[in-house]
Amino acid sequence: MANTKVAIIAANGSLFDAYKVFNVATAAAASDAEVGIFFTFEGLNLIHKEGHKSLPLPEGKEHFQEGFEKTNVPSIEELVGIAQEMNIKLIACQMTMDVMSLEKGDFVEGIEVGGAASFIDYAKDANMSLTF
Amino acid sequence: MNIEANERLDAKGLACPMPIVKTKKALTNLEPGQVIEVQATDKGSTADIKAWAESTGHQYLGTVEEREVLTHYVRKASESEKNGETKHEDVTELEDLRSKVDGDEDLSILDVREPAEFAFGHIPGAINIPLGELEERFEELNEDDELHVICRTGSRSDLAAQKLSGKGYKHVRNVVPGMAEWEGPTDKTN
Repeated sequence: MANTKVAIIAANGSLFDAYKVFNVATAAAASDAEVGIFFTFEGLNLIHKEGHKSLPLPEGKEHFQEGFEKTNVPSIEELVGIAQEMNIKLIACQMTMDVMSLEKGDFVEGIEVGGAASFIDYAKDANMSLTF
Repeated sequence: MNIEANERLDAKGLACPMPIVKTKKALTNLEPGQVIEVQATDKGSTADIKAWAESTGHQYLGTVEEREVLTHYVRKASESEKNGETKHEDVTELEDLRSKVDGDEDLSILDVREPAEFAFGHIPGAINIPLGELEERFEELNEDDELHVICRTGSRSDLAAQKLSGKGYKHVRNVVPGMAEWEGPTDKTN
């Protein structure tokens, strides 16, 4: 899968969303694909410096907490670390940051900040585009 | 089943995608052609390792299931095996070897793949000496036999055939392409 490019939009902020995004992204990177994720609206929670460590379960799904612990699923903190280590491009949406009064320093290390056009530019020759 | 590997990775208790992510990482420390053993308990890991190997060009050898533990074997891709050029002049086509095997002819087959590859399927009666050990072990082979040297794609067996010719073995044939295309009977090592 070298020479394969994966473009992901993360637009939601629950723990479920975080797993969908980071599992697919790290699996793709482990398969030698180039991976970029554009975090927008609630998706920004997934890379918020503190927020990503305690993401909420979707309302009414709190009982899954036990399942996560039992199956020894990696924490989102761990997955973000792996994503950074594997050079997955993490792009935070400038417009959402402005709306929510967030600065680059509010996020995990190594992110880029860009607008919709920078994501489109990254994704224009992607082999896979996924939205979560 | 006791299978030799160059490296062991313990991914037991880890959920998707960690077995793959850890395997990818561990493989960077291996030389091309070496074999890694990955122990996992994630039931999805067999399908995942297979698919991952397929998409990254590494070679999935097989999985042994014992109690709750799945042990996967993967061989790191080696660039030189992909170009398919061979130099040893005496060549036996795979289908000719197949008819000899099917005809129950008395044959000497030398399989120069890694023990883990050999373990998951080889031609019945073949002897296993990995290419890397041939220098020390070639004397185990009978000089008077017609030796059919085989590997996965014909590349390692080409090097082995050249080496044996250099040692004075006169009846050495490289089998092409190799076990990757073999559809005849196979044995597994227990």
